[in-house]
Amino acid sequence: MSQPITLIDYDAGNLASLEGALDRLGLTYRRAATPDQAAPGGPVVLPGVGHFEAAQRSLKERGWWRVLPDLVAEGRPLLGICLGLQLLTEGSEEAPKASGLGLIPGIVRRLGPGVKVPHMGWSQVRQQRAHPALPDPDGGWLYFVHSYALEPSAETIFLAEHGRPFAAIEARGSVMGFQPHPEKSGSTGLFLLKSALAWMGATTPDPEVPCN
Amino acid sequence: MPAKRIIPCLDVKQGRVVKGVQFKDLRDLGHPAELARRYDAEGADELVFLDIAASLENRGTREAWVREVAHELSIPFTVGGGVASVADARSLLRAGADKVGVNTAASLRPALVSELADAFGRQCVVAAVDVKRDPDLGWRVYLKGGTEPTDRSALDWLWELSDLGAGEILLTSMDRDGTGDGFDVQLLREASALPIPLIASGGAGLEIHFLEALEHGADAVLAATLFHEGILPIPRLKAYLAQNDISIRI
Repeated sequence: MSQPITLIDYDAGNLASLEGALDRLGLTYRRAATPDQAAPGGPVVLPGVGHFEAAQRSLKERGWWRVLPDLVAEGRPLLGICLGLQLLTEGSEEAPKASGLGLIPGIVRRLGPGVKVPHMGWSQVRQQRAHPALPDPDGGWLYFVHSYALEPSAETIFLAEHGRPFAAIEARGSVMGFQPHPEKSGSTGLFLLKSALAWMGATTPDPEVPCN
Repeated sequence: MPAKRIIPCLDVKQGRVVKGVQFKDLRDLGHPAELARRYDAEGADELVFLDIAASLENRGTREAWVREVAHELSIPFTVGGGVASVADARSLLRAGADKVGVNTAASLRPALVSELADAFGRQCVVAAVDVKRDPDLGWRVYLKGGTEPTDRSALDWLWELSDLGAGEILLTSMDRDGTGDGFDVQLLREASALPIPLIASGGAGLEIHFLEALEHGADAVLAATLFHEGILPIPRLKAYLAQNDISIRI
């Protein structure tokens, strides 16, 4: 990979575990608090834990909110993790007045009733649709910590279930989102993270991405 | 329902993992990150680190090893020991811990649990409770490693912790701890009505003890000596539980 991965650093979750995972995968990265600190090319990763609206505010203050859609329009690969995925959608019930970036269609809704919320722990994912970047981990277990989840659609790559099915991994063109924490999900998580980022590193500015 | 979890517990003193009987005759087992790597590779689902000599002076040392563990580990981990304020918890979470454990300080000042849940979300807050069977209270809550009795009934306190915002309960039976006679299944059954996950601790000696605990309401089981001494390797335990229809990550 010629360009380092850009990790958006905006005080919504620490990056220690994610950086550890990237180190173990042998991938280079840099932290960027503002868009001018981003690498000139290569994948951008939007991590995140906490409240939807607080995270959105922080991204706006740092100039990311305005810039991310432009980067994606240029074909730049973008990976959202956990709250990072939720911010890429059209919006969340957690903050009904704040809209999402709209880079992934769909709405994020609260989990439950009838199950323990937050959904915290290891759950299995199942493949709904093939994607060139993401080999099926075949019933692989991934680690989740969340109270809200993206409603699944026919486009969803991997589904998980907690009371009801939800989108575990989504992909639209060069934009991808993981609801689980791949950096906390043992070897399966590292495998999927590596696969996703390797594919993102190979992506050209052509927004036409083969999806079968 | 997420998978049931197997959690090794590591006692840390001045940045080293130690093992001893009742905190005496401590033996050095290695660096926290080194043991973390080993348990990660063996298939542990999560780790709990308990800083048994936490003090203001060693805060810097603690942040350093927590940061190293976060960097090495590909599974979640909790750090507990002497956490008494939002600032204490923030330093651990900033260093990379996924959750913080609170015990004595929460009992002395229950609002701490709400403060932590408000600041970081309840998924970050593990309330550790040490209990002993008691003729009056059913089970009584003890503080300071089981040495100091309180007036609290264990079950009342567990519900209060859940209402205050605890995300998870780590429940240790002092009667069973170190005996290898099995978890206090009756206690687990009573506590399993809680709306938050329950980690059973104290008494694991055989594979079947883990099965009993998980069948009687525990969401996760925690043990130390069995795993540290290699008496019960985690892959073997997990294979056994899977054969017995427990949902487990393999």
